[in-house]
Formats: sequence, structure tokens, C-alpha cells
Amino acid sequence: MALIADSPPQDATTRSDMGWAVRGARDALALPAWVVGLSLIGVGGLAQAVGHPVWAAMASTLFVWAGPAQVIFYGGLAAGMTAPALAAAICFSSVRFFPMTVALMPLLRRPGQGIWTQLAAAHFVAVTVWTEGLRRLPAKPVEARLPYYAGFAAACISLSTITTGVGYFLVGALPAPLAAAVLFVSPIYFTVSISAGARVPADWLAIGLGFVLEPMLRPLLGDAFDLLGVGLVGGTAAFAAGRLLEARR
Amino acid sequence: MTLDLSAVHGSAWPYVLLVLCGVVPTEIWRTLGAVASRGLADGSPVLTWVRHVSTALLAAVVAKLLLTPSGALALVPWWGRVGGIAAGFGAFFLFRRSFFAGVLVGEAVLIAAASLWG
Repeated sequence: MALIADSPPQDATTRSDMGWAVRGARDALALPAWVVGLSLIGVGGLAQAVGHPVWAAMASTLFVWAGPAQVIFYGGLAAGMTAPALAAAICFSSVRFFPMTVALMPLLRRPGQGIWTQLAAAHFVAVTVWTEGLRRLPAKPVEARLPYYAGFAAACISLSTITTGVGYFLVGALPAPLAAAVLFVSPIYFTVSISAGARVPADWLAIGLGFVLEPMLRPLLGDAFDLLGVGLVGGTAAFAAGRLLEARR
Repeated sequence: MTLDLSAVHGSAWPYVLLVLCGVVPTEIWRTLGAVASRGLADGSPVLTWVRHVSTALLAAVVAKLLLTPSGALALVPWWGRVGGIAAGFGAFFLFRRSFFAGVLVGEAVLIAAASLWG
């Protein structure tokens, strides 16, 4: 049913790789690419605030392609984090890509696929592309999935790279309330997206502890290690509580 | 011959920093994920722990952005920033887990607070 609603079956078998890539790009531009693009407007604003050039801000979207990591990068620089602490915090915040990539790659595998193709496909993994990929790919023919996914992800990354650049200049040119609104896109987007991803009570505990522990632990840990510390303490506590809840059930 | 670091600390510094502290620490996990995608069970305890730590860290990032904001966001009173997040969070559930409702309502509250009390 999903396949019929998504594309007529008669061209599902005749469509070329390029045809599937275009189809993926079109589906992305129907909505999901705009959601990511909107969230990365704020990253442009943060980069402008720390005095980095617009090309670096756009390159961060193109090559890092991870909103939270980019927010930590520019937000951390603004807060005076050192380079090693920054790398460590981003390394930890990006660990989620490991299980996400592991879950998505089997869907994209085609016979005779080289390692470089797989690494390129893995680079596209980010929250929106991943959730949409898991939802849309299983209904597609196996040989269509990789080009469809590539087109979908390329559209998301391209649009977001442009919006990052737009956000960079918007923040300076806008009246204060709207400039504040642009900088507010990242916090509100991440709040909603981690809430959307929460499934079990332990997920909610991790979110709540992250919020509450940050202002409590920052005076103790300082601006360099507070995020890592809060993540480890809050995440481990949520994990332990989750195990206890499961054991009691 | 001495090593000239002026270029590194000058105009190229934002890019060097971006590659070393942004691209490498992120891309390493996608690379490892692609390599390990055969034969690792999703839902294993280690992955669950990793997910909780990432979630708490991301929530801490939001808290930090709200409580020690930069630029124009710093001009909005703290309760306007926190209120915007709370309103967006509420709207997300009120409108049946709608992403757009959450972001739009949160932004509307923030803009109102910034316009009236900024």
C-alpha cells in the first residue's frame, strides 16, 4: 500500500538510479529537509556570534552534518571551552551515530557494494535522515534504496548548508526579537526532537536530569567539562533506573 | 626552518578547529557503525547506556543555551527563554506529537517575551 501511495508500481521497476535519487530529493523537499534546514539556521547565528567566517559555518553543516555537535562546537567556543574539551564533548554527543548507522546500513546494502559507498552512505546519517530512512526504505525495492536515500539525504544537506549561511547573516540584520528567535531555533528544535525520540521512562529521566544537572554541576565542573559530566552522570543514573524498573516489572 | 603557525592561528584556524574538534569526532562513529553493522545487536545494554548519556548531554546543551545565552538571545529575560521551551514542549504533546506545533508555539512565546520585555 505504501509503495502504491508513494509511487505508481508500473515505474517502480523501470526507474533508473538517477530517477530514484530525484524521487528521494523530491520527497525530502516536501517537508523533512525544511525541518532540518530550519534547525540549522541557528547554527549559522551561533557561528556568527563567535566570529567565524560564513564558509566555516556552511562547511560545518556539509561535513559535520550533526546539529547537536555543531551547537556544542559554536556554543562551546562562545562559552570558552578548550579544543580538547570541545572534541571530547562532541565525540560523546555523536556516539549515537554508531547504533543509528548500524541499524540503517543493512537496509541500504546491495550486492558488490564497496566500502567507500558504505562510508559515504554512513556520512548522511543524522536524526532526520535516519528516522525518515527507517520509515520509508523498507517499502522500496532493494536496488532502489541506496539512490533514493542518497537523493533524499543530499537534498537535506544541500538545503541545510544554504540555510546555515542564511542564518549567519540573518542574525545581524534582523530586529532583536527575531534575531533571538533565530538563535532559539536550536534549543526548541532539540527539545522537541529528543522528546519525540523518548520511548521508555528512562529516556525521560535522562532528559530531565540533563536539564536539571547542568546548572547544578556547571559551578563544580566549569565550562569545559560540564556537558560531558552531566551526560555521564545523568545518563548513567537514567540507565541504572531503567534497569531497576525493568527488573521490577 | 621554523614552522609557521600564523596561518593556522589566523584565517585557517576556524577550519582547522572544525575538522579536528567537529568533523573527526563525529565521523568516527559513523565509520565505526558502518564497519560494525554486521553482527552487533541493537538494544544491547551498552547501546542503551550510550543512548541515555547522549540524551542527557543533549538536554544539558539546551539548558546551557537557555541559561548562558549569547547575542540577541541574552537580551530576552530568562523566564521568556525557559517559558518558550516549556510552551513548545506542551504544544508538542497537545497537538498529538506535532513537531511543527512545538517549534512554532515555542518561537511565538519567545518572540512575544522578546518584544514586550526584551
